[in-house]
Amino acid sequence: MILRTPKRAGEWVDRNKKINFTFEGEAFPAYEGDTISSALWAAGQKVLGRSFKYHRPRGVLSLANHDVNVLVTDGIDTNIRADVVEVKDGMVLTAVNTSGGVKKDKNSYIDSISPLLPVGFYYKAFHTPRRFFPFWENVIRKAAGLGVVNFNYPRILKRKQHSHCDLLVVGAGPTGLTAAYVAAQAGLEVTIVDENSQAGGSLSYNRGGVHSNLTELNDLLSKVASQPNITMHTSTYAAGYYPDHLIPIVSASGITKVRAKTVIVASGAFEQPPVFRYNDLPGVMLGSAAQRLIYRYGVKPFNNGVVVTANDYGYRVAFDLLEAGTKVVALVDLRAGVNGGICAKDLMRRGVKIYAGHCVYEALASSDKSSVRGAVICAYDDKENVALTDNKLTLECDGIAMSAGWAPAGALLYQAGTGMQFDYEVQQFVPSRLPDGIFAAGKVNGIFELDQRIKDGTRAANEALRYLGLQAPQNNIEKHVGISPSHPYPMVPHDKGKNFVDFDEDIQIKDFVNAAKEGFDNIELMKRFTTVGMGPSQGKHSNMNAIRILAKIRELPVEKIGTTTSRPFFHPTPIGHLGGRGFHSHRLTSLHDWHQTNGAVFTDIGAWKRAAYYPATGQTKEEAIQAEAMVVRKSAGIIDGSSFGKIEIHGPDGAEFLERFFTGTYKTQKVGGCRYVMLLDESGVVVDDGIASRLADDLFYLSIGTSNAAAVYREMQRSQQMWQLNLGLVNVTGALGAINIAGPSAREILATLTDLDLSYESFPISSVRESQVAGVEVRLIRVAFVSDMGYELHAPMVQVPHIWNALMEAGQKHGLRPFGSDTQRLLRLEMGNHMPGVDTDGLTNPFEIGADWAIEMSKSYFIGQRSLTILAKRSLRKRLVPFVLAQNFKGEMPMDCNLVVDGRDILGRVTSISYSKFIDRCIGFAYVTPDKNEVGSEFQIRTDNGSLVTATVVKTPFLKNQKGA
Amino acid sequence: MQQFDIKKIAPISPIAHAQSNGTVKWDVVNGMKIAVEFASADIEQARKKVLGVTDVSCFERYGVKGPQASQYLADREIAIPANPNAWTLCDQKTLVLRLGSSEFLIEDQLGGLACKKLAGDTMRVAGVYKVPRADAAFILSGSEVLNLFSELCSLDLREKSLSAKDVIMTQVAGISATVLRQTIGGEQVYRVWCDGTYGPYMWDVLLEIAVELGGGAVGLARYQN
Amino acid sequence: MKLLTCPINGTRPLSEFIFGGEYREAPNQDSCTDAEWAAYVHNRSGAPGDKKEWWYHSPSGTWFIAERNTLTDKVSRTYLLGPNNTANIDINPVQEASK
Repeated sequence: MILRTPKRAGEWVDRNKKINFTFEGEAFPAYEGDTISSALWAAGQKVLGRSFKYHRPRGVLSLANHDVNVLVTDGIDTNIRADVVEVKDGMVLTAVNTSGGVKKDKNSYIDSISPLLPVGFYYKAFHTPRRFFPFWENVIRKAAGLGVVNFNYPRILKRKQHSHCDLLVVGAGPTGLTAAYVAAQAGLEVTIVDENSQAGGSLSYNRGGVHSNLTELNDLLSKVASQPNITMHTSTYAAGYYPDHLIPIVSASGITKVRAKTVIVASGAFEQPPVFRYNDLPGVMLGSAAQRLIYRYGVKPFNNGVVVTANDYGYRVAFDLLEAGTKVVALVDLRAGVNGGICAKDLMRRGVKIYAGHCVYEALASSDKSSVRGAVICAYDDKENVALTDNKLTLECDGIAMSAGWAPAGALLYQAGTGMQFDYEVQQFVPSRLPDGIFAAGKVNGIFELDQRIKDGTRAANEALRYLGLQAPQNNIEKHVGISPSHPYPMVPHDKGKNFVDFDEDIQIKDFVNAAKEGFDNIELMKRFTTVGMGPSQGKHSNMNAIRILAKIRELPVEKIGTTTSRPFFHPTPIGHLGGRGFHSHRLTSLHDWHQTNGAVFTDIGAWKRAAYYPATGQTKEEAIQAEAMVVRKSAGIIDGSSFGKIEIHGPDGAEFLERFFTGTYKTQKVGGCRYVMLLDESGVVVDDGIASRLADDLFYLSIGTSNAAAVYREMQRSQQMWQLNLGLVNVTGALGAINIAGPSAREILATLTDLDLSYESFPISSVRESQVAGVEVRLIRVAFVSDMGYELHAPMVQVPHIWNALMEAGQKHGLRPFGSDTQRLLRLEMGNHMPGVDTDGLTNPFEIGADWAIEMSKSYFIGQRSLTILAKRSLRKRLVPFVLAQNFKGEMPMDCNLVVDGRDILGRVTSISYSKFIDRCIGFAYVTPDKNEVGSEFQIRTDNGSLVTATVVKTPFLKNQKGA
Repeated sequence: MQQFDIKKIAPISPIAHAQSNGTVKWDVVNGMKIAVEFASADIEQARKKVLGVTDVSCFERYGVKGPQASQYLADREIAIPANPNAWTLCDQKTLVLRLGSSEFLIEDQLGGLACKKLAGDTMRVAGVYKVPRADAAFILSGSEVLNLFSELCSLDLREKSLSAKDVIMTQVAGISATVLRQTIGGEQVYRVWCDGTYGPYMWDVLLEIAVELGGGAVGLARYQN
Repeated sequence: MKLLTCPINGTRPLSEFIFGGEYREAPNQDSCTDAEWAAYVHNRSGAPGDKKEWWYHSPSGTWFIAERNTLTDKVSRTYLLGPNNTANIDINPVQEASK
């Protein structure tokens, strides 16, 4: 640890806890609390990673989660941000995006051919000649992206939680801590988040060589700790802003969605690099990065340093470097005529030469290009922003600290819809119009002096309190006066370029000039052409300079350029965090255990898991379905229909309601009778159908299909809300289960379990009875959906297994067996029954499916009636017809949704098709043009492979008309 | 005709499907087969303190709605919560939940008798509609219960936000559920009801998180004293 | 996620609600022309502004009307439809801190 300084108060590293790790195969020591980068830097390792495009060596830039050239992997996680992730004992790390290691990256040759690779080159190259594209695609795919996806990534559950507070403070710097404290004192429940592992923000490192800030920080922290209603989350970032103050905060363990009543954004500002040739060499770093190294990690940034600055902050950095034992060779200030005041004199007294009105023209690389060996400085024209290279001077140094200004960390403010305007006093975008309940304070608000920031935190807290209807004093904050913390244009042009604006994407000043020349001179277009701000740091250190460069190119003021949109998430968030725990809600009938035990294959229908079929060992799905259907035809089958929608309509207006809601008539329906119901929407499209059974004058029992049941009930509730009839709707879908026993032996089997007279005369088709079956009160409905002889038994869900078992036992000698929902589809097709949603779609009207019989147009009103009067006047455009394929058809089986064609014309489509073993014929439904409606008409179905299959229109039921035909 | 003594055939809790793996002691309570013990009393007591999940689907329930429902219940000496989405305790042993303004869920705690009495009354009254209940019902106990809810429910269920007599109809683990806070045996617990057909899913979700947080399944026996 | 206030159940996240489309008065179906009816069924005004909308609070099965400005996405009022319904929530932008 050759650059480690003596221990100092306020450090984040624990000098008593030494740990070891390896990087690129080499062993390194570290202290607990070190980040990967700080430990490597302390050990003298300067090349920490390679840049994305040119594979240039890179070191520490910000140490603030923007060092995206220093991504490492431990073999499990793909892109670990070494500048902020704490190193752990025993870690084995390698840099990503190298070929052959970070020191001798074989891809570094790309840097030497960089003039051949200007921005946008790949838009223009590679696509011709076409036959070479697969080759280039392969090359580009390998070069694009960072890191290698680990397909064996372990499933580590990251919880997604909800939390609630009165006030969320984003940023635990002096401003945020003050705001939290003031609000908590007034009684608010406060949550404060900060992405750093410890609170304090710049107070923890910006010291200017003295230690009053540390005292101030400790004071603030103990005040905050004294408030039990403050919850502090460190190592946690506020990832985005969503409506009504919902802010997901992300930590290593997961995401917490914080719903706050009000929000204070005190997220600070990102230090921005000045731009000069080779400003990317390892050893050239932001002033704040040097300070972080010194005070958080006890690491001397370099031995002989140059500070290049364009604001007063650089002077503080110089003092901190001296404090760390760095010999500060010179302080180079872009600004002419700034004497730096007392600071400057003090620095000069301590042997620091000050070059005002100068710039670093270029940094000089060591022979292996892995570090800095010097800085070439020269005079700088601060008006024209050009280097005056007549009298260049070379300073020997092994590091350069840069301070030129700040950009607000305003992502959340932008996302919340804050209006921002450019404030020339601070050369920064600041909030001008904040949304309700959102407040900004501190550097993000353009306030830079420490005492003012603390006042601004108090002001924001008081505004938040008033927003919540509480009493709080009004405070005013002085606007920034004097020298701007940010330089308006800290850019040094250089003929040979390599003056980097965006370190993520290796974008130089000339790239912007070229982009503008190509016509991409709008900030959004420029972003996409140059890819500035599109790397993993999302422009946090580059967007502001890009805006300045574009403003200069276009000779416009900065605020006319605007900014690009900063979308969630604030930092890249792992997919596992977003996924969280998987919730897959599903409903099970009370017979689920039975189905499982008896080998059912389940299918999802709506929210339900239904038994689709029960394959015997070695049986295919098709075989199982045919076998189950055959039993229903020859003896009897039993199906769990508990998932059917079941709704009770109580009250004197029940029939009136049904007549308005459905197409048929119900006022004349007798108690004990069942009637078909069909629901249309207002445009006359078929939505669903079912059966209404009248159990009493004032009680109807409605059963409808599984998948649409919830939506139909919802629409019934809405209609009742509008109509306000004298009735009550009770959804009993989950409370009652249902069994359908069907087939020629069904009556005989059922008769053994009930006293009810099941004879055709006393219990005909389409009637309902209430009676005991196997000792349980059951609603029996005589249905003919899958077989002429069928009974639906509706009973309390918990009683259904008992009835089922009793039926199975009673039916044993008849060969009764269960059938699933897939078999039910075949059975109803054999019966010639079409199903809404299967044989209809979102445009089908009842005339097209021949359901005219189910519509009572003489009623005064029903949903869709008025549209039907219009539709009835028009000629049909399509018609659903039952069809068969040729006897012993052996060709390619058409499938659902295959088209009905006539030459090149599409006449319709197949909606249902199946082979029926019982009928020994392929049967189905298809839409055809109305001229093909007649029995005996033929039409062509085009299969997936393009062959044409002839189908013939027949009459339903298939069962009666085709069996043996 | 085959004869059945339906009283002897106890239906099984709607949640049982999810509870069947492992050693579970079953018993019939209120005519329903229910899990009364998952582990030894010591283990279950410990779970209960941290995060216990108990299936109480076997509690007797009675549902009713309609414009005259509150009058109907009042006539039958059921205490009615004055406000919508509130609950009250009737005769110490019966929970009366007012769901919205005109629907009620009445649940006898162990030893309560109101539901049987109400169910025996088959008279049909205008403006009063019976709502058959087939709930999966849970007791969630212990110090980590809000930690669990923080993952399953987006609402603030802490004491300061969910007052003692509130009933909340919300979504828990993505499905509709009714939630309230109750005191059982001097211990504050949360109650959750959902449609019985979602019961096994809900049990699986609750238990997965409960186990992660150091709790687990607690049999009904722990509440049967 | 946005919050919406159900007149019966209070303020809840949008995930508890189902959007039921714009609330519109149907023309008298006996006296309107086919064209008027077709316009009612098929045409919607996409212009942003104050709209009455149907919303359904799913866990409780409550349909209600929300008056929402589709430009600002601000809900000004929610209430149950119908003469017998009095529950009516004016959305107050000032929230109360929990004490």
